[in-house]
Amino acid sequence: MDVLPGEVPIAYTEVPGRGVPVLLLHGFGSGYDANWVRAGWPHALDGLAHIGVDLRGHGGSGRPRDAGAYRPAAMAGDLERLLDALGVQRCDVLAYSMGSRIAWEFALTRPDRVRRAVLGGFGPVDAFAGTDLDRLDAPDGGPFTEVFRAAAAQPGADPAALAACARGQAAHPFTADPAPAGVPLLFVAGEHDTLASGVEDVARAVGAAPAVRVPRRDHRTAVSARAFKTAAVGFLTRGVRPLSGV
Amino acid sequence: MTELSVDERHAAGTVELTMQQAVNRALRTALAEDPAVLLFGEDVGRLGGVFRVTDGLQAEFGADRVFDTPLAESAIVGMAVGLAMNGFRPVPELQFDGFAYPAVDQIVNQMARMHYRSRGTAPMPITLRLPSFGGIQAPEHHGESLEALFAHVPGLKVVAPADPADAYRLLLQSVRADDPVVFMEPKARYWDRGPVPVGADASGMDPIGTSRVVRPGRHATLVAWGAMVHRCLEVAELAAEDGVDLEVLDLRWLKPIDADGLAASVARTRRAVVVHEAPLTAGLGAEVAALITERAFRDLAAPVQRVTGFDVPYPAGPLEPQYLPTIDRVLFAVQRTLEF
Amino acid sequence: MAEVTFTLPDLGEGLVEASVLEWLVAPGDTVERNAPLVELETAKSAVEIPSPHAGTVARVHAEEGAVVAVGAPLVTFEVADAPGIVGTVPRAEKPTRRVRLTPPKE
Repeated sequence: MDVLPGEVPIAYTEVPGRGVPVLLLHGFGSGYDANWVRAGWPHALDGLAHIGVDLRGHGGSGRPRDAGAYRPAAMAGDLERLLDALGVQRCDVLAYSMGSRIAWEFALTRPDRVRRAVLGGFGPVDAFAGTDLDRLDAPDGGPFTEVFRAAAAQPGADPAALAACARGQAAHPFTADPAPAGVPLLFVAGEHDTLASGVEDVARAVGAAPAVRVPRRDHRTAVSARAFKTAAVGFLTRGVRPLSGV
Repeated sequence: MTELSVDERHAAGTVELTMQQAVNRALRTALAEDPAVLLFGEDVGRLGGVFRVTDGLQAEFGADRVFDTPLAESAIVGMAVGLAMNGFRPVPELQFDGFAYPAVDQIVNQMARMHYRSRGTAPMPITLRLPSFGGIQAPEHHGESLEALFAHVPGLKVVAPADPADAYRLLLQSVRADDPVVFMEPKARYWDRGPVPVGADASGMDPIGTSRVVRPGRHATLVAWGAMVHRCLEVAELAAEDGVDLEVLDLRWLKPIDADGLAASVARTRRAVVVHEAPLTAGLGAEVAALITERAFRDLAAPVQRVTGFDVPYPAGPLEPQYLPTIDRVLFAVQRTLEF
Repeated sequence: MAEVTFTLPDLGEGLVEASVLEWLVAPGDTVERNAPLVELETAKSAVEIPSPHAGTVARVHAEEGAVVAVGAPLVTFEVADAPGIVGTVPRAEKPTRRVRLTPPKE
């Protein structure tokens, strides 16, 4: 991966290819490689240009320890800085879980930079509800502690940075209103993905196509599913024709 | 390769095998009959060899006796020398003949000389397996013909089988020999199938340094080894259509060379054409021609002809058919001896 | 043709097993090298395993939902005989020639 220097350095991989580059945003505690590469997405994208990012606090990127650094606006700001550095005016976004929350924020604040976005494993439920974010390593801390512990146990993970990330995210809960203006969205989630409960309502509220549910998959297993890949690539390449020369 | 049961692997009798399987079978026999036999080389153990020749042997005999080495040919041969000095009977493999060059010091200065240097106290019962020659359109360094180089080194024996049965016999014979043998397996014939008499006491083992007539004839002798024996048999079939009866002599041992066998054949046919893949100049064809001239000068009706590779670096795959002795080049040389 | 069995590779991160989420090929399918082969679920994530070989799927060794240990057989391919990592297997061809011989006078 390359690293974009800055106050919080951002690790990224740029893969050349066809069309508008697809910015890939991973979930909490994951990274570009674990979330996308290992799940077979470079093959599924079938020659489309793409940019894989490690969000701040994750992978090869900088790891601030204060919760304020993980406001969705700050994390979306990293994306804008990266696109500027790479000379990309407009991109597509393919995101999962927490990455979808950041993608929403980015599309909301900079709709001119996002052509289309696929938001996977994402819904209006507050993933942090009922969890004591100051005691994430406690066995009885709440439903999110299990996710946190698994992420913190990954080789190379920074538990303090991840805890700060969780607190920063939790401090700015998702609301479906206002919605990104003029950015077509596609919602995809596993049939049994409880973190995506209510995604159908969000899709309806923003006038998107009905949310795609991947049969027999949950939050962890939907990410590699062929149905997800087919839906996402179909959405991102829909109506794309060679330039006509006008 | 077809999976064989454990019983089948060790049964005696005649079985139909490819050359790969025949070499595999000989190695099995050698490992089973002598606990001092060790197999090693790059990818020899777990993978079973780049040509699948050692397939299944690590599973059967254990990683102490069949094992992988680092990618260092000098270390592979150097280790074989040390093991031989300590009572083992090593059978190292160098993956491709072109990879032998980094090990030339160990082969020439150590393996070939240690017995001599030690006044006979350190025999070198090493069989250096060397997948050799061209014909599989491989990249550079993967197809060479090093027989003249090694035949020139005092202390080495050099042998190249031409068919599955000989691969089995000659390999077992090489492993059992107490001298270092460079065993050149013709890659292009690895997939040839033929009947192979197997078993620890397989019959038909000629003494080391014995050639064989694979096709008797009366008008001229084609002398070849390794994959070129097959080529010469093709030529002999076509020559028969023209009423020319060619004898094909498989030299087998390139050191020591069967001078008596060469002379006996030429005494019958009065003409000889030697065919090899290696370049012409200072190739083994010159040695064969000299031996025939020395031993059978008065029998010769024509000068010995040589059909060889060209004096160029071994060419890239697509040019291989032009580089290797073609049927027409051999036929043309035969015609020259007939017209002389 | 030869059979080659692909065993579950080391997935890193100390993982010792994975369960089969979904086969992306079935016995009889022709697969290209690096084409998607199977989705697996590990304790940490879902992964897609690309095919290490080009060939035909002979059989799969684990049902969907089954747990497979690292090193255990996953799928067996039928692949074309190959000389290993380099070169091509020579084809048997009918010998042809242009040169004709004249037998010696006896």
